[in-house]
Amino acid sequence: MTAAPARATIGAVVLIVTLAAAVVWLQVYRDARFHLAEPAQQVLYVRSPAMMQRLGLSFDAVLADLYWIRAIQYYGGTRLSDTAEKHYELLYPLLELATSLDPQFNVAYRFGAFFLSEPAPGGANHPELAIQLLERGIAANPTRWEYPYDAGFVFYRQADYRQAAEWFRRAADVAGAPPWLRPLAAVTLATGGDTQSSRRLWQNMLATADEDWLRRSAEHRLQQLDAIDTIQQLEAVTAEYRRRHGGPPPSWEALIRDGGLRHVPIDISGRPFVLDPDDGSVTISSDSSLWPLPTERAP
Amino acid sequence: MDAIRIEGLTKHYSVGFWRPRRYTALDHLTLRVAEREVFGFLGPNGAGKTTTLKLLMQLMFPSEGTAEILGKPVGDVSVRRRIGYLPEHPYFYENLTAEELLSYFASLFGYHGQERAQRVSRLLDDVGLGAERRFQLRKYSKGMLQRVGLAQALINDPELVFLDEPMSGLDPIGRAQVRDLILTLRDRGVTVFFSSHILSDAEAICSRVGILAAGKLAAAGSLTEIVPFKIHGWDLVVGGAPQALLDELTGGGATVTRISDDRYRLLLSDAAAPDAIVGRVSAAGGTIVSLNPLRKTLEDFFMAQVGQTAARHFD
Amino acid sequence: MRAVLLVARHVFKDSVRDKVLYAIVAFALVLMATSFLIGQLTAGQDVKIIKDLGLAAMSLFGLFIALFIGIGLVAREIDRRSIYAVLAKPIRRHEFIVGKYLGLVATLAINLIVMTAAYYVVLAYMRWTLSPAALAGQPPATDPRLLIGVAMIGAELALVTAVALFWSTFSSSALLSAALTAGLWIAGQFGSDLRNLGQVVKSPVAAGVGRALYYLLPNFAAFDVKAQVVHGLPIGAAYIATTLLYGIAYAAMLIAAAVMIFSRRDFK
Repeated sequence: MTAAPARATIGAVVLIVTLAAAVVWLQVYRDARFHLAEPAQQVLYVRSPAMMQRLGLSFDAVLADLYWIRAIQYYGGTRLSDTAEKHYELLYPLLELATSLDPQFNVAYRFGAFFLSEPAPGGANHPELAIQLLERGIAANPTRWEYPYDAGFVFYRQADYRQAAEWFRRAADVAGAPPWLRPLAAVTLATGGDTQSSRRLWQNMLATADEDWLRRSAEHRLQQLDAIDTIQQLEAVTAEYRRRHGGPPPSWEALIRDGGLRHVPIDISGRPFVLDPDDGSVTISSDSSLWPLPTERAP
Repeated sequence: MDAIRIEGLTKHYSVGFWRPRRYTALDHLTLRVAEREVFGFLGPNGAGKTTTLKLLMQLMFPSEGTAEILGKPVGDVSVRRRIGYLPEHPYFYENLTAEELLSYFASLFGYHGQERAQRVSRLLDDVGLGAERRFQLRKYSKGMLQRVGLAQALINDPELVFLDEPMSGLDPIGRAQVRDLILTLRDRGVTVFFSSHILSDAEAICSRVGILAAGKLAAAGSLTEIVPFKIHGWDLVVGGAPQALLDELTGGGATVTRISDDRYRLLLSDAAAPDAIVGRVSAAGGTIVSLNPLRKTLEDFFMAQVGQTAARHFD
Repeated sequence: MRAVLLVARHVFKDSVRDKVLYAIVAFALVLMATSFLIGQLTAGQDVKIIKDLGLAAMSLFGLFIALFIGIGLVAREIDRRSIYAVLAKPIRRHEFIVGKYLGLVATLAINLIVMTAAYYVVLAYMRWTLSPAALAGQPPATDPRLLIGVAMIGAELALVTAVALFWSTFSSSALLSAALTAGLWIAGQFGSDLRNLGQVVKSPVAAGVGRALYYLLPNFAAFDVKAQVVHGLPIGAAYIATTLLYGIAYAAMLIAAAVMIFSRRDFK
């Protein structure tokens, strides 16, 4: 008979589909109800690079890639999360593992150097870890000038111009290093800290960056420096207003009516600058893409 | 020259891991097989027939004793050009076709090109494999594998062929074909040494037999030597005989068994006169279905021999 | 010699058709093909990661293939008695084993070639679709130096096959042989740890044992040049030559031992 088997088949299919739907729904329900943090983010099963090298058998490079991917996702996830205080505690261990498994993992060193030393909320604010990572990179790849250069950069941002210059000099000593490193070392020693040399540094970084994210970061920084310059100019205008009227301008419109400005100043992200009517100081809007600006002294 | 000469061939195994005991699979076998003979190597399962064949093919090494094939000691590679071997339960490379397998084996004998292809084709025809020869061996039934096995045993036109249970796995038609094949080989002058536990096959085709039981050779010789050609009774099947006659014959010492409605089998002793009894049945209105002489068969002899031999002994 | 090549040819024909091999290779190919999907995750490291994944896949799946064919085929052959008919032919046992090994290595080579071709197709696709900026600062996507890595993987796997063949000539269990071979491969990755055991463990006996094991066990880690070829770093021709010679010598030793054992084996 063909009728009975056909019915049985349909019945079986319906049952399976129902169960599949139930399985999916139960997962969704469970995840929604019991807010579990992404386990991969928070738990690093193996912390020791030496152990990981042994466990990896001959697949070190792939494991290094895996840890690199996790590092990126961890960084991105933390950066975009809702928590006010962003800690990047796992960033260094992940990058340390990646670079232990693959000592030539160039991008891991450079990414680590940049974002480990970057102040909150964009980075871990641990410049000493950045230096530690870079020193390992230098030990494994002594022919790469980029690592001592990055180290100098880290110190520059900490406003330790003497150390920065020393590292730039070391970078310049590496065979094949670009010619602008030696004058950079000298300039840093002489005038480190002013926006001119900072700008130059960032422009160099932009020119030599071989990674997208590095390039974008350098562009961002340069835009921030431009914004700082603009703010200085705007504050000069408000000071002039104060001198002539005896008090700071109450608003941009007042300044425009007064003739000091032609239109409301906006920054590169399209947000207007914020004028503080109490003392005439100018800042960028907190929802500008350039916020927060680095302080003048330590870019 | 003897085709096969075995002297005191013995094989011991060690059985058991913790307290190994010695198990004797073959106990001082001594045997000769003449050229052009069809020799049946008989015995119950586990008697040591396959062990003997493996020792002859040097798939195993003897504990004691020697053996010669075509005058050369076992293991001589040049002799292998002149012999063929069909293993028990043959199994071959699954992913090759029958043609490819035979071609491979033929190449090992040194056949090339056109000659090889023709030889392979002829042999596959002989064993009755048609279009299947192009299918992969994984798809073959047991009977087809047995045929391929036979084909590969004969690929080099051997002078001496060793067949281990050649009828196994075949249906009655297949078995008849194998029997005919062996007879054809005999007619061509090939020496055939085959092992079997099916006695009727042996009776039909062997010139000499050897009976192996529990590792020992119980008997060897021509069929007529082993089984005296002596009639010791009669088997008469009649139909429609009247009960009275049957009762009388039973009284006279015959054993009467009912087969169906009006058919009866009478087992008469050799003293009875079958002609007379046949006449009386006809006169009483019955019919003669069959009349066969009873002779001691190989089976009887076999059972007796095997029963006599002591069970396998363990040291 | 002729018999050896005949056996090799037919072993190759038989094993290369095995369906399990198709499955393994297909799996590796699928892995490679989908690896470029992970580009989203990698912050510009696509090419490096695909190169790494491809080599790792070839290494791992190649290992499975070597294990499977080395053990599955020999042990199965003995278990199923296909070997009886062959050995009754005018062929010596050592010719059979050597021919078997060559046939298995040929099968392995074909599978590796297929995987390498797919690998380069994926890499060429990457080169075609990615912007020059994304490709800058790294060795080329279709770097021919990767072939050195593949060749070393092939040599490593040929040695694994020899190990597998060796175990299966006298072990009756395919599973046991597979486990022993896999175990030796793992142990062979820890060469440097064994050699330097003396630095970690303060017992001179242990250090001596460690060193002895290092020299005794096949040093598979020496064949691993994957990281170097991916980064485009130079590998000395002398290093490669020495390592390859080591592999050939070790494999030859194993085959000789296998021949010795196989020649004396009773097939019960």
